[in-house]
Amino acid sequence: MLEIRDLHATVADKPILKGLNLTVKPGEVHAIMGPNGSGKSTLANVLAGRDNYAITGGEALFEGNSLADLEPEERAQAGLFLAFQYPVEIPGVSNMEFLKAALESVRGAQGKEEWDSVTLLRQARAACKQVNLDASFLKRGVNEGFSGGEKKRNEIMQMLLMEPKLALLDETDSGLDIDALQTVAKGVNSLRSPERGIVLVTHYQRLLDYIVPDFVHVLSNGQIIKSGGKELAHELEEKGYGWLTGEEESA
Amino acid sequence: MSLSASSLAQELKTQALANAQRSGSEGDALAALEAANFPERKTERWKYTSLQALADGHLNAIADGEISQPLPALSEHVVTINNGQLVSHNLPDGVTLSHDGPAINGLQTPFAFYNSAVASQPVVLTVAANTRIEQPIHVQIQSASDAPAHCNPRLVVVLNQGAEAAVIEHYHGQGEALTNAVTALVTADNAQLTHYRLQGEQASSLHIGTLIIDQQGISKVDSYQLMTGNRLRRNDVRALVSKSGAELNMKGIFVVRDKTHVDNQLCVEHSVPNCESDQNFKGLAGENGKAVFNGRIHIHPGASGTNAELSNKNLLLNPGAEINTKPELEIYNDDVKCAHGTTVGQLDAMQQFYLQSRGIPAAEAKRMLSLGFVNELLMTLPHEKVAEWATPWLEAELAHTTPAGESAA
Repeated sequence: MLEIRDLHATVADKPILKGLNLTVKPGEVHAIMGPNGSGKSTLANVLAGRDNYAITGGEALFEGNSLADLEPEERAQAGLFLAFQYPVEIPGVSNMEFLKAALESVRGAQGKEEWDSVTLLRQARAACKQVNLDASFLKRGVNEGFSGGEKKRNEIMQMLLMEPKLALLDETDSGLDIDALQTVAKGVNSLRSPERGIVLVTHYQRLLDYIVPDFVHVLSNGQIIKSGGKELAHELEEKGYGWLTGEEESA
Repeated sequence: MSLSASSLAQELKTQALANAQRSGSEGDALAALEAANFPERKTERWKYTSLQALADGHLNAIADGEISQPLPALSEHVVTINNGQLVSHNLPDGVTLSHDGPAINGLQTPFAFYNSAVASQPVVLTVAANTRIEQPIHVQIQSASDAPAHCNPRLVVVLNQGAEAAVIEHYHGQGEALTNAVTALVTADNAQLTHYRLQGEQASSLHIGTLIIDQQGISKVDSYQLMTGNRLRRNDVRALVSKSGAELNMKGIFVVRDKTHVDNQLCVEHSVPNCESDQNFKGLAGENGKAVFNGRIHIHPGASGTNAELSNKNLLLNPGAEINTKPELEIYNDDVKCAHGTTVGQLDAMQQFYLQSRGIPAAEAKRMLSLGFVNELLMTLPHEKVAEWATPWLEAELAHTTPAGESAA
């Protein structure tokens, strides 16, 4: 479903990814770990198509199509979803209006049945409930004045509604207390299915206690330097990243 | 006809004086007009607004066209003024209409003096003391003329002690009409006024207006000023916050598309201690639209404990559009809190990416963000009927489509 081969990418012309390889098959959950500055978030943003994040070599194929050829909205319409590390506040655009536009576009592109406004509202309320977000958040501006935890739960709520084929979660665990972490994990786990791929980008092993990955990769200096099963995360937790990168970790 | 700015200024004054004398004007009003100087190119307050359009001779004729697309009623209580003349009114108990009002304080522009000199029948609405008017009073001020012509509507709203009311000052203009308007809002102690100023005249028409907010008493005024651009729109808004404890909130939106123009000159005069004012205006310019915003806060020597804020945020939709914005603080007292900020920017790239990353096409994302920029303010409008009218109006302007009811050009 996702095939990344020798991917090189720059952020504002600075090389960050330097020959990254990764294959995600339907049904798999992959965790990408690594020290700060290793390129984890860059990978997520490159795949989603953020401005200034440019692919300079290699390729990233999503269901056989090169992501580089697609606009961000076309990637979403194809079934890619990025849960942002820092969800953006958009005052004046209500969450509901935003969801309506997003779902109309994505469901339309995927040939799914269109939701009328009653169905949409019902689905949105159910998704809110699933992540412990009060339904009143639907009326508010997108992420406007939300706490850090509320923003992350709002991301998962959107993901539940969008039903992506491939979900990328960029440090969704950062800034969450243990209750919110469990809520978020429950939401993500409910989406696990044989047809869906999930990629978790995280600095800490903590999230992986709740969303148990099939594969763990360690990213360092723009390349994956080690891959393994879920036990690799525990090993990293004990030994730190310095064990693999050969550097003392300051954080 | 094209005239140099100084000979145009002379010409306008000559026309204005002739009209004033013909209408039998005399006394202070005529004297003020005689003493006034019409703006020339070097006149600082008119730096970004050319009056060249008036060389077409608007002041030489009085608008008397038929209002073919009258405004819908936004309330049970409607006052209609067509081409400067009162044509009908339906007012609730507690509100009286007369043609004699107090002299209006604080007028400054030659156009306002001209209005004073020629407007023989001002519409004066007085709300009785300690009376709460439930529904807003919808004052429709409409002008129409196929050829260049003008009219001089004049509205005074007086809220006596303890009165509470909402007034919608709603302009509509067709053809080549110039609306030269003066409006004054006067509030006594414990009065509460919600004021809307909706200016959506057709792009071919012109508007030069003065709004005076005269808070003579400890009162609260919330004013919402929404407007689109037209051939020439100039608003001089002056607030006289003149009794300790008075509170003023002004919010506004201006949208200029194509070749339209809007010039807002705000001035809040804090002359006494312990008053609060908050000004929040948002502007949006596309194509070759041009907007001017000057936000002045003047805190006089005795006005200690003043808390005044001013914000003007603007969005430029493309390189050809222009917005000139300037905050102007004049503070003659140390013991005040005063904050201001003006920005001109483009749509936020991160917000746009966020919407697109959810499958929303780029053009739709842009539309949503521009609307969101003004929606923040539209969502705070306290009267549903006004919001229901104003939202699709500005939405159409932002989407750059022709609103329902107007045929495509």
